[in-house]
Amino acid sequence: MISLRILTGGVISAALLIISGCSTLNVQPTQQLDTAEQSISSLAALSKQSPASRELDIQTWHTNSGTKVLFMKAPELPMFDLRLTFAAGSSKDQNILGLANLTNAMLNEGSGQLDADAIAARFEDLGAQFSSGSYRDMAVVSLRSLTDPQLSEPALELFSSITAQPSFPTDSLARIKNQLLAGFEYQKQDPGKLASLTLFKQLYGSHPYANPSVGTAETVPMISRKQLQDFHRTYYTAENAQIALVGDLTLAQAQAISEKVTARLPRGTTAAKTVNPIARSASQTHIEFPSTQTQIFLAQLAVKRGDPDYPALFLGNQIFGGGGFGTRLMEEVREKRGLTYGIYSSFSPMQAAGPFMISVKTRAQLSQATLEFIQELLRDYIANGPTQSELDRAKRESLGSFPLSAASNASIVGQMAAIGFYDMPLTWLNDFMQDLQKLTVTDVHEAFKRHLNPDQLIIVTAGPTVKQNPLPNPVDRTEVTQPMERQH
Amino acid sequence: MNTYLRYIVLLFSSIFLAPLMAQTTTTEFSLDNGLKVIVREDHRAPVVVSQLWYKVGSSYEVPGNTGLAHALEHMMFKGSSKLGPGESSRILRELGAEENAFTSDDYTAYYQVIARDRLAVALEMEADRLAGLTLPEDEFIREIEVIKEERRMRTDDRPSGLAYERFKALAYPASGYHIPTIGWMHDLERMTIEDLRNWHQRWYAPNNATLVIVGDVEPTAVKALVQRYFAHIPARPLPSVKQPLELDEPGQRSITLHLKTQLPSLMMGFNVPSLTSSNNPNDVHALRLISALLDGGNSSRIPTQLEREQELVVGASAWYNAFTRGSSLFILSATPNVQKGKTIAEVEQGLWQQIKQLQKTPPSAAELARVRAQVVASEVYAQDSITSQATQIGMLETVGLSWRIQEQDLAALETITPADIQAAAQKYFTNTRLTTAYIYPEEARP
Repeated sequence: MISLRILTGGVISAALLIISGCSTLNVQPTQQLDTAEQSISSLAALSKQSPASRELDIQTWHTNSGTKVLFMKAPELPMFDLRLTFAAGSSKDQNILGLANLTNAMLNEGSGQLDADAIAARFEDLGAQFSSGSYRDMAVVSLRSLTDPQLSEPALELFSSITAQPSFPTDSLARIKNQLLAGFEYQKQDPGKLASLTLFKQLYGSHPYANPSVGTAETVPMISRKQLQDFHRTYYTAENAQIALVGDLTLAQAQAISEKVTARLPRGTTAAKTVNPIARSASQTHIEFPSTQTQIFLAQLAVKRGDPDYPALFLGNQIFGGGGFGTRLMEEVREKRGLTYGIYSSFSPMQAAGPFMISVKTRAQLSQATLEFIQELLRDYIANGPTQSELDRAKRESLGSFPLSAASNASIVGQMAAIGFYDMPLTWLNDFMQDLQKLTVTDVHEAFKRHLNPDQLIIVTAGPTVKQNPLPNPVDRTEVTQPMERQH
Repeated sequence: MNTYLRYIVLLFSSIFLAPLMAQTTTTEFSLDNGLKVIVREDHRAPVVVSQLWYKVGSSYEVPGNTGLAHALEHMMFKGSSKLGPGESSRILRELGAEENAFTSDDYTAYYQVIARDRLAVALEMEADRLAGLTLPEDEFIREIEVIKEERRMRTDDRPSGLAYERFKALAYPASGYHIPTIGWMHDLERMTIEDLRNWHQRWYAPNNATLVIVGDVEPTAVKALVQRYFAHIPARPLPSVKQPLELDEPGQRSITLHLKTQLPSLMMGFNVPSLTSSNNPNDVHALRLISALLDGGNSSRIPTQLEREQELVVGASAWYNAFTRGSSLFILSATPNVQKGKTIAEVEQGLWQQIKQLQKTPPSAAELARVRAQVVASEVYAQDSITSQATQIGMLETVGLSWRIQEQDLAALETITPADIQAAAQKYFTNTRLTTAYIYPEEARP
């Protein structure tokens, strides 16, 4: 889940998630949960210290062919996770929408004498798990294997050949295209998906992020085998790749693996970075759809990776609508008014500016009132910023959640891949954590004012046109209710 | 956006092959009030997961009162003797915890993933909502609207969700398994806070729960904590519970649905036993292996033959949950490859060919060796996640099995011969056990 969030465009929580070489952060204790402490005794007893975090000793080097490697030894389980990341996402599609995705999806369809059946059978005979995925900035190819060399060596051999020398068989190409076309049919029955496709068009105009990574029903059938081969030769190169590797391996083994999986990759250059988009003016688009709920998106272009305001925006968003219960949006829209099952907001920094986005589904009769209410909440937050106690709570949350991010090899490899791909220092997550703790209410408020304008929102809705009702009154949470009588 | 959503419908919660746990230290004890506690040590990271599983779910409900188990799960976050509505979530969030809950046919469970030094807070709050839930009516009036939105999102506006709900209602004629976990909309409309108070009163007792803790903890210290927060909660008499059992051969049934979908699809379900309802565990293990042979990876029969070789389907699957507290279903589902002009009728025929192949010819040694390799590896991979370890333990215990069966699982699967697999296919894949759902786009309505 965590790694997926990184891949889908770098959603924030990922940013919080690992720390290298430092187990406890040195910070001032923030104001505690005063009232709750009176009733929850364990809370009062809790140490004001930040919790301990797993030591992540990340090592880095370059392979002979020039690929950057990030490695962490995790000897506890006899397995390893390998992830190759290429700057080969859909932002490199040019006008052939879906080319990056189709190239990635075709990797395990054939290599040398092996066809898709043989490749699948060979991995599964070894208990190895192969997976791949393609996103806006990056394409990913992953292997999970046991460390027993009798299993891992043939698995790595197969992994290396399909990554470096895919044969892109024409019969497979036709079949995968048909499966993608079925996927486009599925999109038509999902108002949330339709709204999201329109939203990215409205946000990005002629910028490559405007286009869906999977392509479209018009473009995918046109893609030729030659185009896949060219795309692979250009972007699946050693120079355009990073490796993240976590598991029960010695440094020498990790080095050997990284050499093996890059040795046969095409040689080339690092791909050019995605250019920054030009912000477009406010708009509101409605898609008529016969559902019971209306999907609502509100969005605006915001930040890219590496923006100095990102820590402030991240922390401010945790207060406003990031991550789940307890945010202003969840409290006001779900908890007090019962308008939705879930509402969330996020910043998605990518290589080029990614969006700030609010997403919610509500019953169609209340969609207009809900939309206006959310706009009001956002306007108020941008105008006034968070309160001191909200900020303190968000800082404490980020410290407390830190150890969770390094609890599994799967989440560690995902975060290392993001660090490698976005070329961040190994200490980046630690630095980020320290940055968060230094922020003031003014820092967060100013960053929001700099990056968001409540009058410049791009709004997309999808649902039926029905008679509109006013908002229900909020539940009053000021009175303290007594527990029910228990009859034992 | 799913990570925070409070309710995961474990529709297809079949674990494809329950992995074993090798070389882990697991401690089990019970409090005097009947609360069962299982602690597994995993010292890789200073983190712990705590899950409290209640032996109650939607299959315990009765017509007219559907959706209660799930609605109560939502209301468990609305305050208890020490906490106001929503307060436990705010506290856990500030502590950096990840928390949620889920409801299924067989269980309702609550969990927190948290830095190890904060486990006490999670336990104290969990105990408080077991013993002293507030259930305020004004909060319920808002929350039932949230639940209706959840139903609209997951079922009414989602053709696959709607189709599965209707399919399941038909496939389980005799047991509570026909009830959708989220509840029928007309039952949500007439649910009252009194219904939920009764539900909590009836089922939420320490002697009806299992607490599973996995992570960087020490069992003696955990025991002291659990005793501090849970020992004072008295045991209570529980209603007598009957295992949800189905007719072996209810007869051939089918349902045709025209939905707001672009692509047609098909579901076929055979009424079969589970590990708890069968007198013959070998049958159950054979069915598990059949599920793996058909759909246990990209090299299994369905992807190889139906997707790639015949190009009959764009997607198809087989799944079977052997770990339920009552009867089960063996389900096949598929979407025809309409680009290749394939129809529902051809897909139905193609799935039957797969079944007949199993009935006619025993699987090869190479195929079974591949399944075994995957089981052995997945046993190691599953240990990477403390949450999935805890979930397996809690699920097994709650449906009436022991977490210890994981230890013999590979051995149990290895006793199954190719002839056993053939025999199970012949015995269970019959028309008399079959429910079929045909799902068409609305435009195709005659």
